Amino acid sequence: MMFTPRLELFDMAELRYAHAINRALAECMEEDSTVFVFGEDVADAGGPFGVTRGLASRFGEDRIRDTPISEATMANAAVGAALTGLRPVLEIMFMDFMTLTMDAVVNQAAKARYMFGGQTSVPMVVRTPHGGGINAGPQHSQCLEAWFAHIPGLKVLCPSNPADAYGLLKSAITDPDPVIFVENKALYAMKGEVPEEAASIEIGKALQVRKGEDLSIVTYGATVHTVKRAAEILADSGIEADVLDLRSIQPWDESAVLASLRKTHRLLIVHEAVEAFGVGAEIAARMGDIGFDELDAPISRLGAPFVPVPFAPSLEQQYQPGADDIVAAARNLCA
Amino acid sequence: MSELNDLLMPKLGLTMTEGLLSEWCVSPGDAVSEGDVIFIVETDKVATEVSAQAGGTIGELLVQEGETVSVGAVVARWTGPGQGFTTDQPDEGGAPADGASMSSKEKHAAKSADISESMPEPQGVVSSSVRVVATPLARRLAHEHGVDMVGITGSGPRGRIKAEDVRAVVSRSDQARSAFLEQAAERTPAGGVVQTMARRMVEAKQTVPHFYLATEVEVTELMGLRERLNDNDDAPKLTINHFIIAAVASALRAMPEQNRIWDNGDIVQFQSVDVGVAVSTEKGLMAPVLRDLDSCSLDDIALRATDLVDRTREGQATRDDLQGGAITISNAGMFNVTYMTPIINPPQSAILGIGSVRELFRPATDGTPVLHREMGVVLAGDHRLHDGASGLRFLNRVIELLQDPYRLLRGV
Repeated sequence: MMFTPRLELFDMAELRYAHAINRALAECMEEDSTVFVFGEDVADAGGPFGVTRGLASRFGEDRIRDTPISEATMANAAVGAALTGLRPVLEIMFMDFMTLTMDAVVNQAAKARYMFGGQTSVPMVVRTPHGGGINAGPQHSQCLEAWFAHIPGLKVLCPSNPADAYGLLKSAITDPDPVIFVENKALYAMKGEVPEEAASIEIGKALQVRKGEDLSIVTYGATVHTVKRAAEILADSGIEADVLDLRSIQPWDESAVLASLRKTHRLLIVHEAVEAFGVGAEIAARMGDIGFDELDAPISRLGAPFVPVPFAPSLEQQYQPGADDIVAAARNLCA
Repeated sequence: MSELNDLLMPKLGLTMTEGLLSEWCVSPGDAVSEGDVIFIVETDKVATEVSAQAGGTIGELLVQEGETVSVGAVVARWTGPGQGFTTDQPDEGGAPADGASMSSKEKHAAKSADISESMPEPQGVVSSSVRVVATPLARRLAHEHGVDMVGITGSGPRGRIKAEDVRAVVSRSDQARSAFLEQAAERTPAGGVVQTMARRMVEAKQTVPHFYLATEVEVTELMGLRERLNDNDDAPKLTINHFIIAAVASALRAMPEQNRIWDNGDIVQFQSVDVGVAVSTEKGLMAPVLRDLDSCSLDDIALRATDLVDRTREGQATRDDLQGGAITISNAGMFNVTYMTPIINPPQSAILGIGSVRELFRPATDGTPVLHREMGVVLAGDHRLHDGASGLRFLNRVIELLQDPYRLLRGV
C-alpha cells in the first residue's frame, strides 16, 4: 500500500525539503507531458528518501519508472531521451554513484549543444543527494559538486532550504541544458516556508541570508545552516557576518560575492566538500583577482579535510566543518 | 685577526637618510654569532636591533653611542666572513649579500629587512629594501590618503598593516586638522570668480616654469617729470603706472621676441603691442589688456588706462578686455612693499611686479651718500620662451626708459 499524498498537504505554506522537491516534480509533470522521472526505487518505493512518493500512482508507469541498478545506463538513457525531445529527471541515489554516469554526463550531455553548433540541447536534470552526517560511510557521503562545476556545459545547483529546492528544481527542469541538482540527505526532513514566489528562482543568483559588515561568509547547501549558527555566535562577540547562500554553484553569483566583499573586505568560503581543489578555491582565486584591492585579510577557505568521509560517527562529526570551526576561521580573519 | 670588514648603518625605511646609533651591544674584541644583536638604531619611527647574519669578531667601533650618521656610513669593523659590509672592496671574494639582518624591537614585520639589500653601492648609492607588509585594502587607503605606510605599526597577524591601522593614522591627522579648522570662525564656499582665479593660479604656478629677475629703478627724474606734467589741469592726470605702461609698450615694440607666448608647444608671436594691467576689484584680481599701444602718446595711455581700469572695477570689462597680450603689469606700489614677485597670468609669458617707491642713500662714486628714490621691480618670465639673458635685456630697456622718462614723451 503506497502512501498517497493528499493535495491539500501541498497547499500548506510550510513544507519539508523532500516534499518541496516532490511538489516541483509533480507540477512540472502536470504542466509538461515530456517531463518524466526515473531512477532506482523511485516509482513503487517512492524513492530511497521518499522524495517521489505518490508520483507513480498519480502519473503512471510511463511517466515514472524504476530502473535496474546501472547508473551508466540510466544516465545514457537520459541523454538520449533529452536529445530526442523529452525532459528526463533522473535520480541518482547517492552522489557517490555519479562516478558511474560520468561518460554520459561529461562527454555527452555537457558537449552536445557545443558539438552540434547549438542545433540541439540536452534538457535533462540529474537529482542526487550529497553530504554526510547520516553515518553512511565514505562511498555514500561525498560532496562531488566541484567535479561537475569544472565541466563547461553543465549547471550545478545546491539548494539549502525547501523554498529553494522547489523553485530551483522547477527552473532546472525548464532549463534547456543539463543540470546537476544536488540535494542533501540531511536536509530532506527540514521544514520551511515555500511561498508562491518561490515557483521561479533564477539560476545563478545567490541569496543573502544574513547582513553584516565585518566579514563575508559564502557557502551553499546544508552548510548554510551551520554558518548561520556560527554567525550568531560571532555576533555575540561583536563580529557581524554577511552570509551568502550561493544556491547555484555553476554559474555562481560572482557579482554578489564581490559586492559583499566590497562591504566587509574579508572573505571566508565554507563548504562540506573537501577543501582542496574545491568550489572555495575557485571563488577565492577569482576574488583574489577582481577583488584584490578590497581585501583587508587573506581570503580563507573552510572545508572537509583531505581524507575520505569517515564511517565512525565520532570521526564523521569531526570531519564536517562545524560552527566552532567557522567561528574560529572567522575570528582569525578579523584578527 | 683576519682582515677587517665594514659594518654599515642600514637603511631601515624608504625615507630614512640617517640613523641614531643609540646603543652598542658589543665591545671591541667580542666574538658574535649569527643572530646576535650588534647595535640598536633609532630613527624617528622605531628602534631597530641590527643583528649579525654570520659569526665574527668585532674589531673597532667607529661611532659613539648617541651619534647620528648617514645611511651607509661605516659604524664598526669586524672579521665577519660576509664581505657585504665592505663598500670599498666590493670585489674581494665572499658573498656580497651576507652580513647581518635586523629585527624590530617592536615586533614590526614591516621593518624586517636584509641589510645586504640596503647596502650602498660602491659609489654610495643607497637602494631601499624595506617591504611593507600590508593588506591590499590598507595599501589602497594609504595611497588614497597619501599616507606613508613605512611609519605605520601594523596590528594584524605578524605585524601586517590593516585598513584600520591606516584609518587610525588618517583619522588622527584629520582630527588634528579639524580641531585647528574649528577654531577658525566660519566656512563658506568660495564664489565663482575666486574659484576660477584659484584654479588658474594653481595651473599657472604648476605648469609655467617661472624665473624671476629683481632689481630697482631710480625714479627721481620720473617723479619730477610726472609732477611737472600733472601741473596742467587740462591734460589727463598721469600716474607712475601710466609711465610704466608706456615703457613696457615701448620695450615690447623694440624687442618683439618678448611679445610672444607659449601655446601648447607653439610659439605665438603678437604683431600688436598689448599690455595687461592688474586691477584689484571687489570680486578679486583681474588683468584687463590695453591694446594697440603702438604709437600711443602718454596722454592716450592715461585716458585709455583710466577708462579700462574704471570699467573693470565696475564689472563692465568685456571678455575681450580680459584676454590677449604677452605681459601684465602688476603694481603694488600703493601697498608699501619693496618687491612684489608675481605669478604669470597664462597664456601670457611674463609679468612685471612693481613695488613702492623708497627713499634711500646710495654711495656716489666718491663714496658720499646720495639720496635715491627707488622702486623695486620683479620680472617673472616663462622659461619655456624666455631666459635670464633675454629677460634682463627687456627689463633693462624698461628701466632705462623709466630712468630717462623724457624719451617716453615721444610716445611708444
